[in-house]
Amino acid sequence: MFNQGLSLDQAPPASLPFRFFLTAPLFGILLGLVFFFFPLDSIIDQYSPIAVASVHLFTLGMLSMIIFGAMQQMMPVLAGAVIKKPMLFGSIVHASLTLGTLLFSASFLYNNQIFLIAGSSLLALAFFLFFATAVYLLFKVKFLTSTVSAMRLFSLCGVITALLGVYLSGTYIIGEVSSAHFNFVNTHAAFGLFGFAVILVMGVAFQIIPMFYVALDFPKYIQNKIPTVVLILIIAIGLSLFLGIEIYALKLLLAFMFILFSAYGLNSLNNRRRPVFDVTLWFWKLSLVMFIVSMLNWLFVPQDNMFTLAVMFGFGFLYSLLQGMMYKIIPFLSWFHLSSSGHMLIPTMREMINEDLIKIQFFIFVSSLFFFILAGFLSNIFLYVGALLFIVANILLIVNCSMAVLKYNKIAKTDPLDAFKNK
Amino acid sequence: MTETISSFLTADHRACDEEFAQMENEVAENNWENAQKKFDQFNSDLEHHFNMEEKIMFPAFENRTGMVGGPTAMMRMEHEQMRSVVGQMQGDLVSKNKDHFFGLSESLMMLMQQHNMKEEQMLYAMADSHLAEDSSLVVTQMQGLEKV
Repeated sequence: MFNQGLSLDQAPPASLPFRFFLTAPLFGILLGLVFFFFPLDSIIDQYSPIAVASVHLFTLGMLSMIIFGAMQQMMPVLAGAVIKKPMLFGSIVHASLTLGTLLFSASFLYNNQIFLIAGSSLLALAFFLFFATAVYLLFKVKFLTSTVSAMRLFSLCGVITALLGVYLSGTYIIGEVSSAHFNFVNTHAAFGLFGFAVILVMGVAFQIIPMFYVALDFPKYIQNKIPTVVLILIIAIGLSLFLGIEIYALKLLLAFMFILFSAYGLNSLNNRRRPVFDVTLWFWKLSLVMFIVSMLNWLFVPQDNMFTLAVMFGFGFLYSLLQGMMYKIIPFLSWFHLSSSGHMLIPTMREMINEDLIKIQFFIFVSSLFFFILAGFLSNIFLYVGALLFIVANILLIVNCSMAVLKYNKIAKTDPLDAFKNK
Repeated sequence: MTETISSFLTADHRACDEEFAQMENEVAENNWENAQKKFDQFNSDLEHHFNMEEKIMFPAFENRTGMVGGPTAMMRMEHEQMRSVVGQMQGDLVSKNKDHFFGLSESLMMLMQQHNMKEEQMLYAMADSHLAEDSSLVVTQMQGLEKV
């Protein structure tokens, strides 16, 4: 058991992360459709039920979906934490997260209590099963690295976010919304977005930027200190909210940490050693720039509503980065699993997805961001343009990723030289 | 400070990464002759690195821990997989097939980095802790291994 993590073939079969990855853009399409069927004013009002539904289509259906899929792949490889029965585990998490998100969001869109109860229960199952397993495995890891530490913090934040989420759902279900309701909501959001999402992104970036792009390592003090400092700041923000203490200074510090991280990330990417053009760099750079812009916006621009900030942070920073990652991981896993099972004639990573189509998808995605942000300055009408482009970008993302997955499936079925298989 | 297995082999990984990047640079600029030289250099150093592990460090680790079919077996398999990709890249250098070369080199790089990560974060740390005071001896032996 000592050596369990060292084998890549204990990572789940490729079809498992692919299932999570391909589900996420489907939720992107649903999110885009919300703009056409519900009043725009209610979507941009952060506390309206429609906004709650929209936010969770993103945070659960897209963000958590991709993160969970990627984590199941990464934990065995990067942390040596192997999930037993990966297919069963992954299928339960995927099904309950998908169905739970649909029901949960529908309950807010259509004001349906039964959906809320069922959706919340399924989401609780998905999150607690996932994090109980992750916490158990990650805290057992013998040799600690900065990625494992970040993954541990991320898991703790995920558990806290989920607990607060379950509590909030409970208050809706029994209809007793307390006076501290918005403190709970904001603490839930802080742990979810800054802890669960950003800390994971940081932990992964520490490994992936040097690894995918042969770029500079992040300085050690950034790798070792920032995730912990961020967690402490989030906890302090949560406590301050409940104690009624002004949080501006904490916001300032938090934003400073994030900007520092992004600046180092961009510097590393701009000075990378690999000479080859790589379209996924566009997604990473856009992401880190949008992270900085969103933090400046958060600190210095008075907010009527959080919509513009949410677009910059959620779509601009988080979703760009996740798409860039998917465009790398899917071709690599396709190539890797085929190559490992003895197939000789296989497309290289670069032949898995047509690069021009990725570029087109990137431009459509960026245009959707542009119109979503423009709407905040000019007119809500532009939200329709943004939403339409967002839907198209997600459809094209599915098409592009499916291209690699179909090539993989096609070759995986043909004469696999069984004798060579490492299973 | 004396060199540990971990610090010594990690530094060697970085040196291989650097040569890998130089080789890619030459191909990117269509300097096929130089590319071949850089490739040979990279290939020979990579092979040397594999040999230091397979001939010296892994056996020492296996003798000490009794773990023969474990992590070292997996690392040997991954070495084989990398050797096979490097072999295919040689073919692309000969046929000057730049696109295919970069498709393979990207896969190789990801294999190398994942492999390095597993070694640096787990196996080397395990080896240093199991071999304890003998680890500097293993380093000295590896330093003495001639390149082929």
